Amino acid sequence: MSQSSNQDTVLSVQGLGVSFGALKAVHDLSFDAKRGNVTAIIGPNGAGKSTAFNLISGAIVPKTGQVKFEGQVVTGFSPDKMLSAGLSRSFQITNLFFDLTVHENLRLAGQYLEHGQGWWAPVQRSQAALARTDELLKQFGLAYKSNELAGYLSHGEQRRLEIAVALASKPSMILLDEPTQGMSHADTQETAELIASLARDFGLSVLLVEHDVDLVMRVSDHVVVMAQGIKIADGSPQEVRANPDVQTAYFGDKH
Amino acid sequence: MTSILEWLQFVLAPQSINGLSIGVAVVLMALGLTIIFGLLDVINMAHGECYALGAYAVVIILGMGVSFWWALVLTPIIMGVMGYAMERGLIQRVFHSKDRHTLTLLLTFGMATVMEDAIKIVFGANPRSVEAPVTGATELFGSFFPNYRLFVMLLGGAIIVSVWLLVFRTSIGAIVRAAAHDKDMSASLGIPVSRVYALTFAFGVALAGIAGVLLAPIYSVFPTMGRDFVLMAFSVVIIGGMGSIKGAVIAGLVLTQIQSISSLLISPVWNDTLLFGIMVIVLMWRPQGLFGKLGHA
Amino acid sequence: MLDRFNSSTSKPNAVRLLAIVFFVTALMFAIIGTVMGDSFYVRLATEALIFGGLALSVDLLLGHVGLLPLGQALFFGLGAYVSALVLKEWAASFWLAIIVSMLFCAFAGLVGGLIAIRSKGVYFALISFGLAQVFSKVIYNTRELGASDGMTGVPVVTVIPGLQTDNPLGFFIVTWLVIGGIYLGLRYIMQTPMGRLFGAIRVNEHRVCFLGFDAWRFKITAFVAAAVVAGLSGALYPMLRGFVSPELMFFQVSGNAIVNVIVGGSGTLIGALYGAGLLTMLKSILGSFTVHHHIVIGLLFVVVVIAFPRGIVGYLVPVLEARLSKKKPGEH
Repeated sequence: MSQSSNQDTVLSVQGLGVSFGALKAVHDLSFDAKRGNVTAIIGPNGAGKSTAFNLISGAIVPKTGQVKFEGQVVTGFSPDKMLSAGLSRSFQITNLFFDLTVHENLRLAGQYLEHGQGWWAPVQRSQAALARTDELLKQFGLAYKSNELAGYLSHGEQRRLEIAVALASKPSMILLDEPTQGMSHADTQETAELIASLARDFGLSVLLVEHDVDLVMRVSDHVVVMAQGIKIADGSPQEVRANPDVQTAYFGDKH
Repeated sequence: MTSILEWLQFVLAPQSINGLSIGVAVVLMALGLTIIFGLLDVINMAHGECYALGAYAVVIILGMGVSFWWALVLTPIIMGVMGYAMERGLIQRVFHSKDRHTLTLLLTFGMATVMEDAIKIVFGANPRSVEAPVTGATELFGSFFPNYRLFVMLLGGAIIVSVWLLVFRTSIGAIVRAAAHDKDMSASLGIPVSRVYALTFAFGVALAGIAGVLLAPIYSVFPTMGRDFVLMAFSVVIIGGMGSIKGAVIAGLVLTQIQSISSLLISPVWNDTLLFGIMVIVLMWRPQGLFGKLGHA
Repeated sequence: MLDRFNSSTSKPNAVRLLAIVFFVTALMFAIIGTVMGDSFYVRLATEALIFGGLALSVDLLLGHVGLLPLGQALFFGLGAYVSALVLKEWAASFWLAIIVSMLFCAFAGLVGGLIAIRSKGVYFALISFGLAQVFSKVIYNTRELGASDGMTGVPVVTVIPGLQTDNPLGFFIVTWLVIGGIYLGLRYIMQTPMGRLFGAIRVNEHRVCFLGFDAWRFKITAFVAAAVVAGLSGALYPMLRGFVSPELMFFQVSGNAIVNVIVGGSGTLIGALYGAGLLTMLKSILGSFTVHHHIVIGLLFVVVVIAFPRGIVGYLVPVLEARLSKKKPGEH
């Protein structure tokens, strides 16, 4: 988990901001995420992390600032355009096709990899999609549940599937929205290792928003701390942990 | 020069004022629809049939020799009871299903079919006419207006104002708006949400019934009158904004005015088309309708 | 509403069996009717199949994409009128009528879809309803198209040399083949990635965009396909009955199609055909007792929606699947 200085910037957030009425939810947020890194946005409740995440992913159109991905401006892009650019996202509230099987969930997402005639032939011939599905089933340990309806999975399994679906299209960067939300301790550890391996073994760039500070500190290469809508720290986990402003934001002045 | 003024005074104004009497009834229908949608998230495809039943209630009551005024009082009560039973007995059964939206649409559609067929069986397919309780005409601005139409405008207007007051100025209204805003929170505050739902549905349906009573002496009463009228009501609700009371009132009045005035210029056959065209254009420009959801005035 | 069929791993043996049963039974029914010299029932069966085609188009939208088309009879009626016009005014050619109807309805479907398919799904049903209301009124009032009486005098045409449309069994078989072809075509489409995406839109439209697909484009495609299916079915109507009338576009027809789909089993395709067939039979039987058969069917529909939302085929399939897998223990 080293941060080498000759990594290039894959995602560049510049001056992002939005207000809801009189409330400045996010104000002048800027940071760069490097390729192959796990970058995390953390902060106490009400810090604006979710809003920031939604601004970056295009769910909310920002009032100010821009988002550049691989050098291309992607500010406010619709979800399918984001995916074409190589940016995929997962959801905090599990957003799967609950009535379809695990296999079908992944195959649908993997269908993105098929081009041309793949659309007119029966699904059994979508080699790229089926291959990707098998790959992901193995990688995420869901092969034994392949024929189960997604709605019947345990919460932890659903959260894993949520990430797997977001990865099916082989994006260059994935945005994870509170990936361990509601997970048991064991599941959280497993997911943490999974996220770390995504970056380490597969060269994927990851941006995540998380409440679990310990997880973030273990898994991330780069941490951005927000409080009350603005960025208060930006650096490696060690730097951030030692930062007095961060400690104040989380624990108050009494520290 | 004078002929334009004359046209305005003797052709346009009467048409417009007559249109107001229809407009008031349309607004009542639309209010019922929009309140039901705003709270229950249910599109009541049977709303037209509730309107028709209101008109037929008048037919029955007058047929029993009772006066129209009783019909005006009794019909909303009868419709309300029926609406409560429909909601509690039928709609709530599919309410907790995952496919809720489709199922409630299908269910109310089925209810509409059954109601329309029941009307045909009980009353026959022939149109009935109902005599207005108020006869004669009054002179206003140089033209004569049937007193009944003026009565409809006044009474209808009063009911609309009462509804607005009820929703926005009473505690009952506050409860309904709270339940619309956040059902789970309201339930945990001790509000009997399922009873509120049933009562709201009953209320919406009663409004449709009143509209039926008011318009019965103006239009004839026939089994498919509901279906013909419901497109108008839905157009008003969609254009005004589903769930918006302000939207229902404004859109209802404006659209009926457009309809009255345009019938001077184009054949009434194109009425539906005009209305539909306006609805489509509004939807394209502003998909949420002109105004917001229930909860704002 | 039944999603097992969208899974790539389920073997729809039960569905295949039910489909075979349907088409074989229908054919036998017509042959028996012909042998007994009764063309009325053969024609009724043909009509049931034609309306079955309309039901299939409704199932495509309702059961697979998740859109409720309250005015699908619009395209059925358009197909019927275009077919009648072609046969009367242009050339008495079966194939020309069919092809022109399909093309016209594809175009109409595109225009209708652009209007009806907006970001908020709740409006689709009402716009579909409104479109049918408006156009049926327009045609009702257009003297050139026969106004409220419609157009009569549609000529008899030759389908293939030796087979004319006034031959009850012959035309039944033609219809049987057309509807069968539509059924197989739709079944195939549902096995393709595009068809699977229709189902995904019904299950979770929101997520579909995040998979990189523009849901709107798929909905429009489905809408156009449904319009073509409805139009093709409608095109057969004047060939059977010799006339068309604005009533073919009335809400009653759209409503019946929806009832057929729900009672038969939405999302199963063959359910739509079973629904059309069974309800036509039911109406015919009830009709000999009372003139109020509509209300019976309306009540049946309400009961089905509340208590048996998966419809006949929807409930039969799991039962059959269990039976079938017991019989062949070696298979899946």
